[in-house]
Amino acid sequence: MPNIRGDAMRGLAVFISDIRNCKSREAELRRINKELTNIRQRFRADKTLDGYQKKKYVCKLLFIFLLGHDIDFGYMEAVNLLSSNKYTEKQIGYLFISVIMNSSSEMKQLIIQNIRNDIQSRNPIFINLALQCVANIGEREMATAFTNEIPRLLISGDTIDPVKQSAALCLLRLHRTSPDSLQLNTEWTARIIHLLNDQHLGVATAAVSLIDALVKRNPDEYKGCVNLAVSRLSRIVTSSYTDFQDYTYYFVPAPWLCVKLLRLLQNYPPPDDPSIRSRLNECLDTILNKAQEPLKSKKVQHSNARNAVLFEAINLIIHMDCESTLLVRACNQLGQFLQNRETNLRYLALESMCLLAASEFSHEAVKKHQETVINALKSERDVSVRQRAVDLLYAMCDRSNAEDIVQEMLTYLETADYTIREEMVLKIAILSEKYAVDYKWYLDIMLKLIRIAGDFVSEEVWYRVIQVVVNRNDVQSYAAKIAFEALQAPACHENMIKVAGYILGEYGNLIALDPRSTPMIQFELLHSKYHLCSPTTRSLILSTYMKFINLFPEIKQHVQDILRHDSNFRSSDVEIQQRATEYLRLSEICSPTVLATVLEIMPPYPEKQSPLLVRLKQKKPLMEAEPSGETPTTPGAHTDDGPKLADTAIHLNQQHQQQQQNGLLVSLDTIESNGHYNESTSYSLPSSSVPSAAPLQSAKKLLFKNSDIIFENDIIQIGIKVEIMKSILRVEFYYGNKTNSNLTNMSSSISLADELDPDLRINMEPIKSSIDPKAQIKQAGTIECIKDYGNLPKMNVAFFYSNVPQKIDFPLPLYINKFIEKAEMDSNNYFLRWRNLDKPDQECQKIFPAKFPMNHNECSQKLDSFGWSDLAGIDVNADNFCGAGILHTTAQQIGCLYRLEPNKQAKMYRLTIRTSKGGVAARLAELLEDQF
Amino acid sequence: MIGGVFIYNHKGEVLISRVYRDDIGRNAVDAFRVNVIHARQQSRFPVVNIARTSFFYTKRSNIWLCAVAKQNINAAMVFEFLNKMIDIMQSYFGKISEENVKNNFVLIYELLDEILDFGYPQNSDAGVLKSFITQQGVRPVTREEQTNVTSAVTGQIGWRREGIKYRRNELFLDVIESVNLLMSQQGQVLSTHVAGRVAMKSYLSGMPECKFGINDKITVENRTKNPGDSTNPTNNSTANNSTNPTTTTTAATTKTAIAIDDCQFHQCVKLSKFESEHSISFIPPDGEFELMRYRTTKDISLPFRVIPLVREIGRTKMEVKVVVKSNFKPTLIGQKIEIRIPIPPNTCDVQLLCMKGKAKHKSSDNAIVWKMKRMGGMKESQLSAEIELTPNDKKKWNRPPISMSFEVPFAPSGFKVRYLKVFEHKLNYSDSETIKWVRYIGKSGLYETRS
Repeated sequence: MPNIRGDAMRGLAVFISDIRNCKSREAELRRINKELTNIRQRFRADKTLDGYQKKKYVCKLLFIFLLGHDIDFGYMEAVNLLSSNKYTEKQIGYLFISVIMNSSSEMKQLIIQNIRNDIQSRNPIFINLALQCVANIGEREMATAFTNEIPRLLISGDTIDPVKQSAALCLLRLHRTSPDSLQLNTEWTARIIHLLNDQHLGVATAAVSLIDALVKRNPDEYKGCVNLAVSRLSRIVTSSYTDFQDYTYYFVPAPWLCVKLLRLLQNYPPPDDPSIRSRLNECLDTILNKAQEPLKSKKVQHSNARNAVLFEAINLIIHMDCESTLLVRACNQLGQFLQNRETNLRYLALESMCLLAASEFSHEAVKKHQETVINALKSERDVSVRQRAVDLLYAMCDRSNAEDIVQEMLTYLETADYTIREEMVLKIAILSEKYAVDYKWYLDIMLKLIRIAGDFVSEEVWYRVIQVVVNRNDVQSYAAKIAFEALQAPACHENMIKVAGYILGEYGNLIALDPRSTPMIQFELLHSKYHLCSPTTRSLILSTYMKFINLFPEIKQHVQDILRHDSNFRSSDVEIQQRATEYLRLSEICSPTVLATVLEIMPPYPEKQSPLLVRLKQKKPLMEAEPSGETPTTPGAHTDDGPKLADTAIHLNQQHQQQQQNGLLVSLDTIESNGHYNESTSYSLPSSSVPSAAPLQSAKKLLFKNSDIIFENDIIQIGIKVEIMKSILRVEFYYGNKTNSNLTNMSSSISLADELDPDLRINMEPIKSSIDPKAQIKQAGTIECIKDYGNLPKMNVAFFYSNVPQKIDFPLPLYINKFIEKAEMDSNNYFLRWRNLDKPDQECQKIFPAKFPMNHNECSQKLDSFGWSDLAGIDVNADNFCGAGILHTTAQQIGCLYRLEPNKQAKMYRLTIRTSKGGVAARLAELLEDQF
Repeated sequence: MIGGVFIYNHKGEVLISRVYRDDIGRNAVDAFRVNVIHARQQSRFPVVNIARTSFFYTKRSNIWLCAVAKQNINAAMVFEFLNKMIDIMQSYFGKISEENVKNNFVLIYELLDEILDFGYPQNSDAGVLKSFITQQGVRPVTREEQTNVTSAVTGQIGWRREGIKYRRNELFLDVIESVNLLMSQQGQVLSTHVAGRVAMKSYLSGMPECKFGINDKITVENRTKNPGDSTNPTNNSTANNSTNPTTTTTAATTKTAIAIDDCQFHQCVKLSKFESEHSISFIPPDGEFELMRYRTTKDISLPFRVIPLVREIGRTKMEVKVVVKSNFKPTLIGQKIEIRIPIPPNTCDVQLLCMKGKAKHKSSDNAIVWKMKRMGGMKESQLSAEIELTPNDKKKWNRPPISMSFEVPFAPSGFKVRYLKVFEHKLNYSDSETIKWVRYIGKSGLYETRS
C-alpha cells in the first residue's frame, strides 16, 4: 500500500492548502474542527491504522498545534510511531514529541523507554534521531534518565563518528539545561579528553565544545586537555589546507575547531611544561605568519575564517600575557587592520588593542599607532568604531603622550557624537588629572572642557575640579584668575558658573588686588549671571556672596541688599529663601571674628578613589580595559600628591546643611524626632509612665483612664486609646518599634474568653505588616459590648524581629466599667431607685482597708473617671460618695448605683453597689475594692 | 460626535476611510486593525477603546464597518447610524461584499458626505437620498426637480415628494417579529421577549393620510371607555389575510389586547397625535419603509418547545434525545425549522436517528444540525443521537444551549392589525378603493434551550 501512495502524504498537503485558503479566522477554525473530528474518528481505539496513516494524522495534529490550537489527544499514536521501523515514521514521531512534550509522567516514562530502546539499537540513524530528540527536549528528566547511556555512546569504541558527534552535542545541551542532574563518571574524564585526538574532525569539534563547558565547571579535572588541545592545534595549523578535505573552509583548515581550541586554552594559564609552551607559541606564531600571507581567495568567507582564527589567537596571546614578541607581533598585525576597509575589522582591531594596551609588553607597541587611532577618531563614519577609538586612546595614554591625546580628544569633543560625549568628558577629566605634571594645565583643560561640553559634564567632574583646587595651594590663585576670566565670556554654561562661583568664593581675595578684578567687579560679574541660573546654582552663589562678606567687608552692604531682595528673601524656593534669611541674619548679628571662623576657607578633602573612575565604571562596567590595573607599572608621579580625593564631593551645600542642623533648625528637628515614636508616651499620664511595668501589673491601668500603655518590652511598646459611645468603644492601638531594625510580619488579634458565646464584638482594621525602625503604627477599630462580662479578652501580637518570630500574649485591660455612662439624678430619685434594687444578688457590699491616703478629692476624681457620676450632697454625710451610672450593652442597659463610705478612723472603706442586673454589682465591686 | 468611518475587508485592508474631525489621527485606522481585526483573541465587545479613542463596529458578512470617536458619544446612536448606513448601502447596491464596496466606492464616499456632517448624522432615508444621489451620470436638473429635492431635504414632509400618481393604489404591510427565548432544562422560561417591526410598502397617489390601528392595550382600553369617538374598524381594512382581526365585541378585543413595552416610529408618524389620542396616523413615504418597531415581553405564545435529554454513559459515550413540539394552531405551518445541538469538542463519531427532516453531524461547528422544511401545528418530532467521545480529562464540557430557528405565519406576541385606513382629500379615491395586503411573519431570534 505505501508504495502506491508513496510518502507524499497528499491528505496533509490538501489540509494545509485548505487552511491557507481560508478567508477568515472562523473558516480556519471550522476546517480545523472538522479535521480534528476526523482524526479522532481514525484514532479510535478499536480501529487499526497502518504506520503511514498514523504518521499522516500525527503530522496534521502537529500542524494544527503549530497554528496555535490546543491538542489534547494523539500523544499515544505519536509515541507508537517511535517504535516503528521506518525512518520517516520514527522521525515524525520524534518531531511531534519534541514539539509537544506532554507533561504527564506516564507518557514521559513511555517516551523515555522508547528513546532508550533506540539509543541501544544498532541502527546509527535511529540513535541519532533519539539523541536529537533528547537534546531538543533537554529536560531534567532526560538528563537523569540518560546520564549513563549517552556518555557511554560517546566513549565506546564501536560507535560510529556521526553518532559520537551527536552524543557530544546532546551531552552539551543537557549540561547547559540542567548541569546538576547530569553527573559524569570521573573514570570517563580521560576518555572524553581523548576525543580531542579523534581521527574525525567533526567528533573533535563537537568534543571541544563539550569539554569547554565541562572545563568551566571543573577546571582541575580536565586539566589534561591542554596538552592534547595544543598538539591538535599545532597539527591543524602546520598542515596544509589540502589535508582536510571536508573540513577546509575556503582554504582555511578547520577554522571552527581552531577557534574552539583556542578558546578552550583560554580557560587555563599558560602551560608550565616548556615543550608544550614552545609548541603553543609556535602555533600562535604560525597563525600570525599566515595572516601575512596573501589571500588565497577574494571571497569574503576566506578572509572571515582566517581572521576569526587570528583574532582568537590574539585573544589567547593577550590572555597568556607573557610572550612579549607575540604581543608585539599581534599589535602590529592589529595595526594593519586599523587601516583595513572592513569596518568590522577596524572595530575588532581597536577592541583587541585596548586589551593589548593594558599589557606591559605591548603598551609601547600600541603607542606607535596613536596617529592612526586619532585619525580613526576623526574620519570614522561608524559611531561604535569611534567609541572604540576613544576607549583605545584612553587605554594607551600615559605620561609621555597624555598632553597630545587629551588635546586631540578635546578638539574632537566639539564635533563628537552626543551618545559618547559624556563618557569622553569623563575620560578627558580622568586622563588630564592622572597625568598632569602642571596643574595649571589641568585647570586650563578642565575649564575648557566645561566650556565645550557644558551639558555633558556630570556633577562628579566639576566636584572633582573643586576638590583639586582646594587641595592644592599652588594653583589656587591661578584657578581664581582663570575662573574669573571664564566668567567674563558672554554665555557661560551653568556648570562653569558653579565652578567659578565656588572658586571665587574661596579664593577671590587672591586676585582682588588686580584692578581688573576688584571685589566689586568680581561681585558684579557673578551677580550678572545669578538670574540666569537654576535654584541649586543660585543657592551655591548665595553662599559665595556670604563668603565675599568675609573676604571683602567693603561690599557687605551690596551683598546684604541682594540677600534682602524679595526674589531671594521671599523666594518661592525654600532653599534659597532659607539661605537668604539665615545669611542675612548671620551677617547682621555676628562680629567679623565670628564670621571669619564660620566662613573659613574649606579644609582639604580626604583622599579616596577618584569619583570619576567610579562613575566611569558605573557607566559601562564591561567595556573598559581597566586603566587602574596599569598604575603600578606606569612611572607614576601622581601617586602621592595627586589629587585623589574625596569619594563624594562635599561642597558648600552640605556644609551648609550641617550648619543648619546644628543651629537654627534644632527646635524643629527635635520635634520631628520625638514625633516618631515617643508619641505613644506623650498621651500617657505621668503617674503611669513607669515603662517597664509588667503586663499583669498594668492590667488595671485602664480602669480610670481612656489611654495607656498596655504593654512594653525592649522591642515593642503597645499603647491603647479608647473613646466611649454607649455600648461601642472606639479603640486605637499604637504599636511602637523601639529597635533599630524593621519589625515585619506584624499580626495582632484579640481572642475572647468564650468564643462560642461572645460578650464582646470586636472589629479591628487589619494591621500594617511591618514597622520601620523607631516608628509607630496605628490600628483602629471598634469593640461592642453585647452583654456584661467578667473575663478580660486576650490580646495576641506576633511579629518578626530580625527574622526571629516573637509572640506576645497579655490580657487586654478592657474592664466593663468602660461601658458605663454617667447618670445624674436628685436625692429622691436616687434613694427611690436604691430601694428598688433590693434583691440579694443585685447588691454587693465590700469592706476593705485604704491603700492610699484618704483624700476626698482624689477619691471623687477616681470615681468620676471610673465612669459613673459622683453626686454630691445626696448623702447626709458629706464624706460619703454616692453616684449612678448606666452600663450600656447591646442586650440591655443596666442601671448601677453605688455608695462609698470612708471610715477615717479605721482607715477602712465600705463600698456598696447595687445594679439592676444580678452579678454585675459583684464584678464592679471587685474592680474597685483595691483602688482606694 | 463620530470622528470617522472606516470600512475594512476580512483581511483588515481599508476599503473606505472617511475622517470627519481633526481629532482622529491617521493611525486610528491601523489601531483598529491591529487591536481588533488581527487580535489574537477575538474581541467580543462591540465598542473597543484604544488610546482614548472609541471604536464602534459591526461586521456584515466579511466586511467590518467601524465608526471612530474621540468624544464620549452616544453609543446607541452610533450603532443606529451604522445599521442605517448598511441599509442605505444595501438599497443602493444590494449585498454588502468586498467586491460591491470596491465597485461603488465613489458612491459610498458621496453617501458618507451626505449622511454625516462634521460627525453629526443627517438625513439617512434611502428614499430621499436616492432622489439626489443617483448612480447615473450627471444630467441637467430642471428647476422643478431642484425645488423638489430642496423641499424634500429641508421641507416639512421631507420623506415624500408631491405629484406621485399610481393607477392602482396598493398598500403592503408586514408584521415581522423575532422571538427570543432562553429556557431552562426543565422547561422553565428564563427570559423571553419579542422584537417586532411593521414594514410597509406604499404605492399611493398624492399625499394620502393613513391611520393605523393595533390591538395595543392602551388603545383598546381607551376605546372601551369612550366608544363613540373612534372610527369603527371595518372588514376591508385588513383584507386578504386569514389571521386578520375581525371586528368583535369589546370584550373580545380586551382579551386579545397586548402590552407593548416600548415602541418607536418612523419620522412620518405624527407623534403629537399618538401622544394625545394614541392613534397612529401618518403620510407614508413612497415605497418601502419601516413604520414602527416595538418590543413585548408578556404573554408571548412560544411557537416551539424543545425538550432535550442528555445522558452521559461513561467517559466515551453520550446519548442525546431531543423532542420538538409545535405549539400553535394545527391549521398553520411552521417553515425553515433548524435545530442546532452543540456536542462536545472531543467527539469522534455520531450516530443519528430522526423521525422527520434531515439531521447531520457538522464536525466543523461541533454541532448536530437538524433541519425540517415544514411542520404543522400541534405536532411533535424526535431526534436521538449516540455520540462517541475520545477520553479527555482536561476540562469538562460546559454544554452550550440548543438553539433553534424557524419561521411561522403569525405574530407570537399576539400583535394584530385592527385597521389601516387611507384618506386622500385632493385626489378622489377612497379608502375602499385602495388594495391592502397584510402579512404576519414570526421568526426566531435567539431561541435557546439549555441542555
